[in-house]
Amino acid sequence: MRWLQLLTASVLPFAALAAKKPSGDRFKDFRAKALSSGSLKLDDSSHAQLTKAPRDYSVAVLLTALETRFGCQLCREFQPEWDLLAKSWMKGDKNGDSRLLFGTLDFVDGKNTFQSLMLQTAPVLYFFPPTVGPGAKPDAQAIRYDFTSGPQSAETIHSWVARHLPADAPKPAVSRPINWVKIISVTTAVLGVITFFAVAAPYLIPILQNRNLWAAFSLIAILLFTSGHMFNHIRKTPYVSGDGKGGLSYFAGGFSNQFGLESQIVAAMYGVLAFAAISLAMKVPRIADPKAQQFAVILWSGVLFVMYSFLLSVFRIKNGGYPFWLPPF
Amino acid sequence: MAATEGDQFLKQATGPKTRGLLRVIILVLIAGAAVSSRLFSVIRFESIIHEFDPWFNFRATKYLVANGFYDFWDWFDDRTWHPLGRVTGGTLYPGLMVTSGVIYHFLRFLTLPVDIRNICVLLAPAFSGLTAFATYLLTNEMVSSPSAGLLAAAFMGITPGYISRSVAGSYDNEAIAIFLLVFTFFLWIKAVKLGSMFWGALTALFYGYMVSAWGGYVFITNLLPLHAFVLICMGRYSPRLYVSYTSWYALGTLASMQIPFVGFLPIRSSEHMSALGVFGLIQLVAFVEFVRAQLPSKQFQTLLRALVVLIFVVAVGGLVLLTVGGVIAPWTGRFYSLWDTGYAKIHIPIIASVSEHQPTAWPAFFFDLNLMIFLFPAGVYMCFRTLTDEQVFIVIYSVLASYFAGVMVRLMLTLTPIVCVAAAMAFSQILDTYLDAKTPKVDAKTAENGSSEPAKVAAAAVLSDGLRSTRNPLVGIYSYASRVTVVGFSAIYLLIFVLHCTWVTSNAYSSPSVVLASRLPDGSQHIIDDYREAYYWLRQNTPENAKIMSWWDYGYQIGGMADRPTLVDNNTWNNTHIATVGKAMSSKEEVSYPIMRQHEVDYVLVVFGGLLGYSGDDINKFLWMVRIAEGIWPEEVKERSFFTPRGEYRVDEGATDTMKNSLMYKMSYYNYNSLFPAGQAQDRVRNVRLPSEGPQLNVIDEAFTSENWIIRIYKVKDLDNFGRDHHSAVSFDKGHKKKRAAKRKGPKVLRVE
Repeated sequence: MRWLQLLTASVLPFAALAAKKPSGDRFKDFRAKALSSGSLKLDDSSHAQLTKAPRDYSVAVLLTALETRFGCQLCREFQPEWDLLAKSWMKGDKNGDSRLLFGTLDFVDGKNTFQSLMLQTAPVLYFFPPTVGPGAKPDAQAIRYDFTSGPQSAETIHSWVARHLPADAPKPAVSRPINWVKIISVTTAVLGVITFFAVAAPYLIPILQNRNLWAAFSLIAILLFTSGHMFNHIRKTPYVSGDGKGGLSYFAGGFSNQFGLESQIVAAMYGVLAFAAISLAMKVPRIADPKAQQFAVILWSGVLFVMYSFLLSVFRIKNGGYPFWLPPF
Repeated sequence: MAATEGDQFLKQATGPKTRGLLRVIILVLIAGAAVSSRLFSVIRFESIIHEFDPWFNFRATKYLVANGFYDFWDWFDDRTWHPLGRVTGGTLYPGLMVTSGVIYHFLRFLTLPVDIRNICVLLAPAFSGLTAFATYLLTNEMVSSPSAGLLAAAFMGITPGYISRSVAGSYDNEAIAIFLLVFTFFLWIKAVKLGSMFWGALTALFYGYMVSAWGGYVFITNLLPLHAFVLICMGRYSPRLYVSYTSWYALGTLASMQIPFVGFLPIRSSEHMSALGVFGLIQLVAFVEFVRAQLPSKQFQTLLRALVVLIFVVAVGGLVLLTVGGVIAPWTGRFYSLWDTGYAKIHIPIIASVSEHQPTAWPAFFFDLNLMIFLFPAGVYMCFRTLTDEQVFIVIYSVLASYFAGVMVRLMLTLTPIVCVAAAMAFSQILDTYLDAKTPKVDAKTAENGSSEPAKVAAAAVLSDGLRSTRNPLVGIYSYASRVTVVGFSAIYLLIFVLHCTWVTSNAYSSPSVVLASRLPDGSQHIIDDYREAYYWLRQNTPENAKIMSWWDYGYQIGGMADRPTLVDNNTWNNTHIATVGKAMSSKEEVSYPIMRQHEVDYVLVVFGGLLGYSGDDINKFLWMVRIAEGIWPEEVKERSFFTPRGEYRVDEGATDTMKNSLMYKMSYYNYNSLFPAGQAQDRVRNVRLPSEGPQLNVIDEAFTSENWIIRIYKVKDLDNFGRDHHSAVSFDKGHKKKRAAKRKGPKVLRVE
């Protein structure tokens, strides 16, 4: 028994030597390919080649699904950031001292790899540390990064990658190219707006000083905010959802939960109620004709009453134990 | 409410003195209603401090009363944030404690020996009466109708939006801060109206008091300058504005800098820069106005106007530069997250983890404000009719506060006063109109018109002219039927409002959360008092300096009720320290033990609701611990590994190994299955069946478990006497034979050499 172990052990260095020679070339080969584009575009075979076991360099591979038919929004949002990171890393690390390569494997080109890794989701980022040479890790397991908290910026991924590299390896920072188009368009827009205001001031100032306009603006803002618009904005609630029977469910169950449409319905209800109150308080006493006034009073009181009753009934949907109600609903 | 209407009826018949007396009586009654509707919890449970933060305030008040004001000011607390300690005197808002201390000493002076706890418990209801009065004053400044103020006071007294933070026992900064907020606004309006330095100085005085009481003073610091700025932009600059603003700013800033916690912030942080900027702007505007009065030349005026704009732009640019250069502190995270709503979630999980920092869904607005929520826009609209200086204030306040309340549930509190004021303005307008007994005479011509083409007139009445609603002259109400209809409906609405407020207060806001109540099958009330049971156990069974580790939520309560040093508490000033506790909770025992030893932890306390179905327990908060720990040690704690490969957060058989091995999981479910028949252990919060074999603990011992298992306390073991690691010591005690390392070498083979 013992001699078999001994034999294996004695052969190992040769195996390592034999493996090392092509692997050094491998890094240079892939690096040469990567220099132009930043990250390597991989398929099944080149992925296997790149991440083959004895390697003295590290690889960061993004497994993604870019085509529209997969509907991976996250993949498409992250791709430019990933390319930016790879490109600026390649540029900043001219001699390849960090011994890091970036690869991108699309699902279309690498179905088998996805299957062998048993991936159900995309994108997933793998970091393969070197198995031999400086910075080699004993377990040499690929480290996985999941995009659990939404699309990430190049900087976050940069810091994640940098954490797994040896401390002395160079880590070129992400350099974002200056977005000339944006700067120019913003400047033009600002200048345009200023010019527009300068020219149109005589016509604009009466509008800006229009009390009705400001009143409308303030009331709309208040109605939006008090009907939970900010909640939709922050939580990114669905606009509306099905009730499981083919119909639409307008009101979400639960007290601290709502749909986009729901909050708009509520805002409209508040608007109608407020308008009825305004009419009763300010318009009705200005109607000179008694009969018309009588009619308006009954109408607006009715609107107020029915709408309020409806609001209470909607609120009872949200809060099961709510005991108050008014007749029609 | 009936009294308010009565006031209206009596107006014609009685003299001003009677009316004044009536008004005082009504206000006293409103204050009485406000106080008594906040006493549910005292009557149902007992006179006890609620929730979390109040326990710290209570502890600080006791310290103040026991050691005097100067000791309190210099207080270094070594019993929290062990081993760091906390410079408590310099990091709290002392207004609340000092107020109770003054009341305490005043009552002593009157030879009324009241326990300090009762003062603390009843402070919030007492101040709510004052808030109602301040709302009355503020509303009276806004409209001419005297009933609006009384209605607003009544609204403010019983609205759940304010009661939520001021029930008896809720001894928090907001208890006095809302009164100060409303009263400061009243003084400010008064100052702007009169242009008086006296009122401006009073505003500054109460502003200073507000700064000493609540961090929300920043709202005033920004709202008053905004009001002044808008007035200037509207071309409504006046010497009145100049006098009131400058006297408020100069004195108020000096006053606010007296609080150690605030210190030099008013001149060094971005939150306060708008006030400084408007202060500079108003000097310029005043100078220009002065020169313009002297020199009527038109060109000169143009020049001056350009100059003002230029200086303003340069000043703003300078401020931005100073901020970039680091002289002026940028906006604090808490404040910044109000504008950039995604900010806190990414950068400061500890802020995002607090439930009162979540955005507000619409039911919460209706729940807290009921019918006022739709009277509110109507009232704001009415402000646009005359749009005096003070009504501009209402508009600005309304829009800003509704935004803030929408972003953060907690800021509903700042929205409530203005909603009460605006809603009362709308409602009193309706009541005033329809309760006026005078019937206008029918104009013959219009009457004829109306009778000839009733359909047309009716159509004109329905299709109103939109926003130009006040173009026609005021006529009045003709028929009694209209009056009865509207007043009758109004009475119904107000009745529902009162019922709603009482119901909400009684059901939602009167639970002390230290003591829980449940109903037994026969309908009687059953009190669940696990928290106090456990805290008193700590107080009586542990040495006075035993360090307790728990999640930060319970830090203040342990300090207040058990009087034991804690590692972290609700002050959350040191994120790393909290992350350390999070790491200890979410790691394996072998990792946690050194951390606990290093921090000299003697006991660990966890909250577990599985037996009772109490959902606010630590397993449900656990992901936040993981997240906060991951923020500091991304290598060692990973949120991902607490989720199953399918992305579920599970505690049953299918939980991940990291989850099952975490200290928190083990502490929560240790011995839990012994309560059930074998294999039947059930978690009633998450509604899952637990693994048949419970977790094993090596480095800690169970010390105490409360009656309903809500609180579980574990003692951290000392180092083993024989120098073994705890795992092998435990397995030795259990009688397991130690596994020899030699066994691994495989089956024995005959030596052939």
